[in-house]
Amino acid sequence: MSENNKTALGFCLTSSFWMVVATLAGLLAATKLVAPDLMGSISWLTFGRLRPIHINLVLFGFVTPGLLSAAFYYFPRLLKTDLFSEKLGVITIVLWNIFLVFATVTLGLGQTQGREYAEMIWPVDIMVAVLFIMVFVNLTMTVANRKESLLYVSIWYVCAGIVLTAVTYALGNVIWQPDTGALKGIPDAILLWFYGHNVFGLLLTPLSLGVAYYVIPRSCKTPLYSHTLSLLGFWSLLVVYTHIGTHHLLQVPVPTWLKVISIVDSMGMVIPVMIFLINIWYTAKGKFAEIHGDIGTKFIFVGTIMYFFVSIQGSMMALPQVQRITHFNNWVVGHAHIGVLGFAGMMALGGMYYVVPHITGRPLFSRLLADLQYWLILIGVIGFTVVLTIAGLIQGNGWLNGETVYRILAEIHVYNVIRASLGVMIFFGAVIGLYNILRSIFVRSGGVQ
Amino acid sequence: MTPRIVVIGSLLILAAVVLVVVALPFYTVSDAPSEIYRQRTDEELAGKQIYIANGCVYCHSQSIRTIDWGLGAERIAQSGDYIDDHPILLGSARTGPDLSQEGGEHPDDWHMAHFKNPRTTRPNSIMPPFLFLGEENIKKLTAYVQSLGMIMADKRIARQRKWKELSTAAFEAGPEVNVKWLHSHVPEPWQKIANPYPTTPGALARGHKIYQDFCMGCHGPVGDGMGPAQPDLYPPPLNFTILKDRGISGGILYYQIMNGITGTAMPYFKKELESEKIWEVGDYVAVYFINESDAGQGGGIDAAFEN
Repeated sequence: MSENNKTALGFCLTSSFWMVVATLAGLLAATKLVAPDLMGSISWLTFGRLRPIHINLVLFGFVTPGLLSAAFYYFPRLLKTDLFSEKLGVITIVLWNIFLVFATVTLGLGQTQGREYAEMIWPVDIMVAVLFIMVFVNLTMTVANRKESLLYVSIWYVCAGIVLTAVTYALGNVIWQPDTGALKGIPDAILLWFYGHNVFGLLLTPLSLGVAYYVIPRSCKTPLYSHTLSLLGFWSLLVVYTHIGTHHLLQVPVPTWLKVISIVDSMGMVIPVMIFLINIWYTAKGKFAEIHGDIGTKFIFVGTIMYFFVSIQGSMMALPQVQRITHFNNWVVGHAHIGVLGFAGMMALGGMYYVVPHITGRPLFSRLLADLQYWLILIGVIGFTVVLTIAGLIQGNGWLNGETVYRILAEIHVYNVIRASLGVMIFFGAVIGLYNILRSIFVRSGGVQ
Repeated sequence: MTPRIVVIGSLLILAAVVLVVVALPFYTVSDAPSEIYRQRTDEELAGKQIYIANGCVYCHSQSIRTIDWGLGAERIAQSGDYIDDHPILLGSARTGPDLSQEGGEHPDDWHMAHFKNPRTTRPNSIMPPFLFLGEENIKKLTAYVQSLGMIMADKRIARQRKWKELSTAAFEAGPEVNVKWLHSHVPEPWQKIANPYPTTPGALARGHKIYQDFCMGCHGPVGDGMGPAQPDLYPPPLNFTILKDRGISGGILYYQIMNGITGTAMPYFKKELESEKIWEVGDYVAVYFINESDAGQGGGIDAAFEN
């Protein structure tokens, strides 16, 4: 193993391992929706505890470390220097894994602050903030030591993403109120969704775009289509994305002007999204053979397509008339999965599959297994979205028609069954991925190409 | 761009946005209580912690919208309802019903049975069983859930208590008195109405399905009141067989199913079952469990659906 890339490989292993745990938690939760008595009455296996474990591990265990793995690989290369400190990087990874164990155990024990995406208790919050600062120091110091004067767009996205997440995480988790981690009443909801949406807007999205901006031109062996567009895309993303959290609260008594801002900016999200996609897709124009040839690039290219769908869908969902039907039901769950697994998760997997062969200097252990994982996850996440969208439409229209939640429950049962089956595919995809990554990094022989 | 521009520029943008979309509402949203607001008791607050710890918020919203028809839709949420919620528990999904006005919808014993295993009272529910919490914690959780709706809930709770006393006394006085008491609270015109739909195999099959989905958990598969929820409920679920030869009618069954019997675990089903479904489940009970049905004997112009 190369001494120089310990941090990138460490994050890669972290991500692959926690993807298995996170998808298992999700699968168990989905199973509980089909057969609520299957696992009896066990506290830490109850749906309300599995769900935050699933979500927090996906966000902070699978996707973020996966995307950071690629970042720790391309920072030194784009800046033509060594990483500031591999030692700091390794310490970060060890602490990061301790944090994930801590988060899983505390959430399993019911130690939660009860705010969606901000559940983790204060000591865990502090660990997250410290970890983001450690990553920020390592990466910005690498930038400071650079031998390349021009900063590429991927660097901007990651630097901004990490520093802004450190700040919004502390703010959104009300870190100055250790006991509750919350404000009171309606302002708490406003702050929570400001933060909750920024987990995607200021963490997963910038880190994902950073990976795509690095890998796509590399694999296609072409220069980026337009550096002006990347500049526009970067600043418009930061300005627009941060405004839209309140679109989760359109049916709640929050000030109307704030709702208007969130709706207008949700529509405005088309600008940064399309700027990025135009830039990447024009770069990749006519290069499908190259994209198809590298499994990492393939994951990432699919991630860009998912980004298109999830963003356009998200803008549409911010329209009050649409939300009359989509709010409070499985439609939103489908949207979340196409965003976090379809877009950011695919980007993370793609980044790792791109990075690992470059670091080890030999091909992946098995392209076949990687392709299998690709299809399992692709079919899984698209199936998920279709099934949950149908279930959501049944729920939303039924409720609007005056039918009760209990009556509609029986109508969506079959979709819950299909959803759990697709969850099995995604879980096996994660297991295969972990095996493939482990073999690629640690074992030299015996690959199936 | 230099690193300084990236980092300081993005922090400046964030600061400006936080000022507008977080700080401004924080300082301008009124924290005046609404007319239904009251403080929660210590027991209710302890129950709230259990509600939070077990992730109830992931399936139950506390946020009634102008477009809602379901549970609690009598009152649209106002910001003054939430001033003491720390954190606010609006929720983002309704896998289960909204709970903004759940307090007093059911008596405490219904909640005890329901929390231990929700399928005892609601056979199609997919809520997890909370037996692991233990009796003490379920009591606290029940106290919290019964406080949802605050002053509006308190009124319903008072109503539940009053009728629990009366219905318990009637039950303890024996079947004869109990049946008479139950019938006497059905308005007289309803008592005299026969079930307008004649008994048919199709209607019985539909009634059977509705019985399984809504009634069986308490009244049991054979209508003797020995369903799985029975051990937790007092007065216990009605044994239908005691209704025979005591003046039962289709109208009485319909009225009791539609409105429920406040104070007992018998909920109202007017939101969940449309007219035909109530008649048919009533006739299913009348035919199979009471063995005394007046279905189709109401007279009037022959209906088009009759054979």
